[in-house]
Parts: sequence; structure tokens; C-alpha cells
Amino acid sequence: MLELKSLSKHFGGVRAVDGLGLEVREGEIFGLIGPNGSGKSTTVNLICGVFPVTAGEIRFEGRDITHAQPHVCLAAGIARTFQNIRLFGHLSVWQNLWVAQNALADRKSAGFVKRWFSGSARARDETGALLEFAGLAAKADDLAGNLSFGEQRRLELARALAAKPKMLLLDEPAAGMNMEEVGQLRERLGALREDGKTILLVEHVMELVMGVTDRIAVLNFGQKIAEGTPDEIQNDPLVREAYLGTSGQGDA
Amino acid sequence: MVDFIQNCFDGVMLGSSYALLAIGFTLIFGVMRRLNLSYGPSIMLGAFVGTLIFLEFRAGSLAIAAATVLGAVLVGIYVERLCFWAIRRGAAVASMVSSFAIWMQLEELVTVVFPDRTYPFPPLMEAEPIDFGPFFFKVENLVMFACAAALTVALHLTLYRTRFGLRLRAVSENPDAARYMGINIAAVTFFAFALASAIGGVAGYLIVSADAQITPLFGLWATFKGLIAMMLGGMGSIPGAILGGLLLGVVEAQSIWYLGTEYRDLCAYALLFLFLVFRPGGLFGHALAERERLALRRV
Repeated sequence: MLELKSLSKHFGGVRAVDGLGLEVREGEIFGLIGPNGSGKSTTVNLICGVFPVTAGEIRFEGRDITHAQPHVCLAAGIARTFQNIRLFGHLSVWQNLWVAQNALADRKSAGFVKRWFSGSARARDETGALLEFAGLAAKADDLAGNLSFGEQRRLELARALAAKPKMLLLDEPAAGMNMEEVGQLRERLGALREDGKTILLVEHVMELVMGVTDRIAVLNFGQKIAEGTPDEIQNDPLVREAYLGTSGQGDA
Repeated sequence: MVDFIQNCFDGVMLGSSYALLAIGFTLIFGVMRRLNLSYGPSIMLGAFVGTLIFLEFRAGSLAIAAATVLGAVLVGIYVERLCFWAIRRGAAVASMVSSFAIWMQLEELVTVVFPDRTYPFPPLMEAEPIDFGPFFFKVENLVMFACAAALTVALHLTLYRTRFGLRLRAVSENPDAARYMGINIAAVTFFAFALASAIGGVAGYLIVSADAQITPLFGLWATFKGLIAMMLGGMGSIPGAILGGLLLGVVEAQSIWYLGTEYRDLCAYALLFLFLVFRPGGLFGHALAERERLALRRV
């Protein structure tokens, strides 16, 4: 579904992503892990069109989106969440979802007037199911900026879903969560897979990655050093070396 | 006391046109975080388009008003393309300086095409002032106030009840997040500019037709009044722009009555100075300051 072909991004002399090749298949949860600074977030940003690609190619459903702008990527069906939460703090919870739903409206309706000036009458009802899913139904009218940290993370996920994407890019969704919240997130991601969503999960929290993903790729210094099922990755000596800085023989 | 109250009424009506100018300024600033100094001159050029069709075709008030608004919108779009879209990746100050350069260009253009400097502008209507107890109201001022109020309500509905308004608010809240949520920032900015210019065009028509004349200096005047009213209210805040405009109008009306016409601008600048020293964020500036603080915290 999503294909990266020898993707590279250089910042000056730093090779943040270096010849990365990946394929995420439809309906799977694909984990992307690696030590700090290994190029995970850069990869997500490249897919979403945040900054220009140095070399390589990105294809989504066979379509070339290497040089697409962020709003074009969303229209193509890729929505994301952020490592640092980026909500519209002065809009209410349901309006945050409404913003994202508008992207879909743009793709569907043809008329200019309708696209730009149609009202909010039905918009609020349409957000109900998502608010339920995110456990925010009781807070629909609160300002997003007044939510707790955990609620804001859930709202970010709901906002990405409001754009009705085919694929979700989650950039460290469990960062700063306690174990209970990680458990809830794991259930939510499982439910999304049941729904047929494809997910690319960038994460540090191993309990989440190992428990929920179908396949995992490991990055180090911008290159892929391993790829496989969670079991295979856990037993890979190269991965242990990258994470622990040893060859892994010591803990046999 | 009657004089004081009468001045307040006059000031509010005068200030309603300042409020419209300030709303235009603050819309652009809210979306772009950039100042458009060329805002007044683009309205001035629109008013000269209105003058042109008056002189050439003896057009009626409605046609002149439409020509003024259309002219202001077209010049506004020209400014947006040149000073904002073309250098959107550059520093904010680059946009401000180039908008100043376009200001000079527009003034030169008008001076070349209209060499007589001062031109007559047909008044919207000629009517006797209306008495109301000890007070009296000029009809054109009442029309100005009614138009400003109606336009403000329409703008409020646009911003809070339509998709375009939601997008505009999302962009001014957090441009980054808006981009990833599928909002085409360039398009929103373009329409925000067109909207601000249209509001400015209406304000320009009301002011110039009340004065019954137009000079190229109207651009400078409109930029100053709009800018001062926006600063008084707090940059980026629409309620602030409205209150700032009304406050400026009332202070000017009082100073004209008690001190004389020549003190009008002096008092306006003194008021601005007091605000800059004691309340630099303006009446509603804390909202924006808070937003900037949150934005910084996110980084």
C-alpha cells in the first residue's frame, strides 16, 4: 500500500534517512523502531511532505507522492498524529474534528460555494461516533487546550481518523502515557485494524510495539538494519547491538 | 454633558469605519502574522476606480460602491501575490517592507493617472440631520454605522458558522497543524486577503462618500487609522479591532469638540502612545499573547 524506494534525506552532511526501502501492506500494523536520532520521525515527515526528499521515491497505492504537499497527502488518504501534540487549542473538541472532516468534504463535493461556505448544522452530529471511540463524548464542547494530556493524545488520534484516511501514521502516540493508557491505546489500535485501517506506528514503548504490530522494521543511522515479525526482531543480534551498544553475547 | 454625549454618538459612528479598517488589518495579521502596510493604499486605489466611473459615466451610488469594493479587492490580491505569497518563505519583515514599496507604487500610479490630486466623490445621499431630543444625527453617519454593524455580523457568521471560517480560524491558530489536516494554507490566505480587502473597500466607500472628496493621501490616512485602531484593540483580535476603532473614534470626536480640529490626530497618537506604554497588548491582546505562548511551548 505504501512503498518507500531507496528514500534519502540529508540535512547538510547528516544523512538522517539513507537509502531506506520499506513496504507497508494493506490492513497491517507496521512498526518502525530505532534508537533516538535513527531517522524514524524524519521518515514520517518525508511521507507527509513536510520537507523535500533528497533522493528516492514514495508511492501510495501505486501513486507517486514523493513531492506532494501535506494537504495533498491527506487528500490521498494518509493522516498523521504528532510526537508533540498539535491541536487547535482555542477550538472546541468537536471543531477540531470538524477541521479534519472538511478535508474529506473537499474531495467529495464539487461546488465552490458549498466547499467554502456550507454551514456547521450537520457537522457536529457526524463527529459523535469518533468522540465515543476516543472516550471524549462528554467533552465535545470543551476547548481542546483545556483537556488533560491523555485526552489531548486521544483527540489527536480522533482528529486524524476524522479525515477518514486509508492509512494512519502515528508518531510516538504512547509517549508520556502510563501503563493503563498504553493498554487502552493498544485496544484502540486493535479495533482500528479490525476496521481495516493500515497503520504505520513509530514508537519507543516496546510493550505497545511488540504487542500490536504485524511486522517491524528497525532503523539505525537512517538505514534499515532489520525487518520481520515481532518475535524475529526481539531475537535479532543486530537489533540488540543497536539498542544496547553490545553484540548481545553477554546476556546469553 | 449633552455635548459630551453627542460627541460620543458622533465618535461611535466615525469609529465604526475605523473598526472596519482595523478588522481588515487584523484578519490579515491573524492569518499571516504579517503586517500589510499597503492595506490603506489598496483601498485608496479602489476609491479612485469609483471616482473614475463617476467622472466618466456619471454612475449611480451603487455602481460606484461596487467599483470601489471590486477595485480594492483586485489591488488587495495584487499585493497578496507580490508581497506575501511570492515571499512566503522569507522573513515577516520582508513582506512588511515590500508592502511599503507597493504603497509608494500605488500612490505614484494614482498621481500619474489623476494629476489634479483632489477629486470630487459623490455623497451617498443628501439629507437633513435627524433631531432626537437634544441630539442630532447626520444621516450619512447613521448609514455608515448601520453598514459597519451589518458587515460585522456577516463576518462573525462567516467565521463561526462556515467551513471557510473554521479553516481561517484553524490556520490562524496553528498553521502547521492546519496544513497536516488537509487545509490548503495558500488558498485560505488568498481568500482572507480578498475578504479583508472587500471589508476595507466598503469602509473606504463610506468614508470617502461622507467626505465627498478623495486625494491620494487617503491611503496613508486609512493605513494609520486602521493600524492605530488595531493596536488599541490588540493585534489579531476581531472584537479588539471593533472596540479599538470605536474608542479611537470617540477620542477623536471629543478632542475635535473640546480642543479643536488640529488636535484630532495629536490626541489619536497620544492615545496610541499611552496604550503602547501601559498596555502594549491592547484591549484584547492577552488572548493572542497567550496563543503565542502556547505555540512556543509546543515547539
